[in-house]
Amino acid sequence: MKRALNYALLLAILLAVAVSFVGLGLDFSGLTSARGLALMADYAAGFFPADFSAAHLAQIGRASLETLAMSALGTLLAALLGLALALPAAGRFGAVAGALARFVLNALRSIPELVWAALMVLAAGLGPNAGTLALALHTTGVLGRLFAEALENTPGEPAEAIRLAGGGHVAAFVYGTLPGVWPQLIAYSLYRWENNIRMASVLGFVGAGGLGQMLYVSLSLFQQAQAATVILAMLLLVLAVDALSGWARQRWVSH
Amino acid sequence: MTVRLTGVGLTHANGRRALQEVELTVGRGERLAIIGPSGAGKTTLLRLLATSLQPSEGRLELLGSEPWRLPAGQRKRLRARLGLVHQSPPLPPRQRVVTAVLAGRLGQWPLWKSLLNLLHPLDPAGARNALGRLDLAEQLFERCDQLSGGQLQRVGIARVLYQQAELILADEPVSAMDPVLASHTLGVLNREAESRGVTLLASLHAVDLALAHFPRIVGVREGRIAFDLPAHAVTPQALDALYANEQLDQPRPASPAPAPHVVTIPRC
Repeated sequence: MKRALNYALLLAILLAVAVSFVGLGLDFSGLTSARGLALMADYAAGFFPADFSAAHLAQIGRASLETLAMSALGTLLAALLGLALALPAAGRFGAVAGALARFVLNALRSIPELVWAALMVLAAGLGPNAGTLALALHTTGVLGRLFAEALENTPGEPAEAIRLAGGGHVAAFVYGTLPGVWPQLIAYSLYRWENNIRMASVLGFVGAGGLGQMLYVSLSLFQQAQAATVILAMLLLVLAVDALSGWARQRWVSH
Repeated sequence: MTVRLTGVGLTHANGRRALQEVELTVGRGERLAIIGPSGAGKTTLLRLLATSLQPSEGRLELLGSEPWRLPAGQRKRLRARLGLVHQSPPLPPRQRVVTAVLAGRLGQWPLWKSLLNLLHPLDPAGARNALGRLDLAEQLFERCDQLSGGQLQRVGIARVLYQQAELILADEPVSAMDPVLASHTLGVLNREAESRGVTLLASLHAVDLALAHFPRIVGVREGRIAFDLPAHAVTPQALDALYANEQLDQPRPASPAPAPHVVTIPRC
């Protein structure tokens, strides 16, 4: 009986795969035909040599700085907002505030950056403004949740000891809780910054500024040589930020 | 009266009766040691006096007021006058010793001063003085996770010295120290209490230290006060009864090492 059910399941999956191919109309013969391959090679060749003219490089430099600023500001805003929401979400202000904060964090987190960016472009207009807000909103949800978990896992005794000696809530938090959690908070924030620099280069596709917008424009105009430079710039930017945040982690978090 | 307990009992949340019918009166400037077998309720009694635990029955009076009948704001001000030395001081591993000691006055400082002190220690001389009395002045700028158990205990004591509490409560304050250091440290606590005329209550597992340093000895057994005598009147028979069925000099584990601090570093 169980074996028959397994066969039936396997058959159903195979059927679904076959129906998907037919339904989506995937054309693999066109992909591997001589003409198709020649067209692809032609398109790819258009990316070389990349455009290294001074004017283009200056434009790229500006856009890179814009992307860098977008990701850094977005992450910073998110870290501050995330901490502000993580405190109630960790249950420090009662059950009602905790449930409400967790709901807000989940809502922010479950909407992807690209959707936030599309919404923000409508709300705040084209440009880096929208990109920064989009990154800040989504990352607030992610960091808020991670921060709340870190706060919940921190031992409470140091803060309790301050309260027993007459210290207030704020003093107990900054002297008893924060010294234990801030390395973790920094580690999470740096990690999200790495993610956001990559995301910031994509956000431009919906008009939210930075390198992504340049890439989108050059690709739309079939200027592959210019697009190649933008892609190189993105690669360098991501590598540089990874190295920088790795160094910051070594310095402040690991020990 | 600094401390007055009348018919105090305490039942833990799990239903275990930790203290029952405790009567204890301690006048200002008195110094007394609480001794008794492990699990007798010494720590519970001290946590009760530190307003960390609330009595289930009876009356608790501290420094002339009943802490659990006070509004929260006044209880906070009362707590600033109580200093509790923990057996294994709960200090954040990355905190510097100077900050941990200066934190003793957080109950007296306004918030802006507490926050400013976090950025830059406002009274390193005061912290150095408190630590110096415990022979720990060189460790002023070290991190708490670099100290041994005995050194941490002395940082906890230095914090209470710096706090200038009117009622010093010490829970096994010297359990992780060698005998010479333990004796010296108890001497420092006793001289502090004597010179400022404040009250000192310490629980100790070493009976000889209790008898040598404290004029009044309270024996606790099974959640009750077994005897309450001047040190010279404590007889071997009373001690034998207090520790009956217990090994008088059982080895005690040093204060547990703090759990290693792990930071999860996410990678993508």
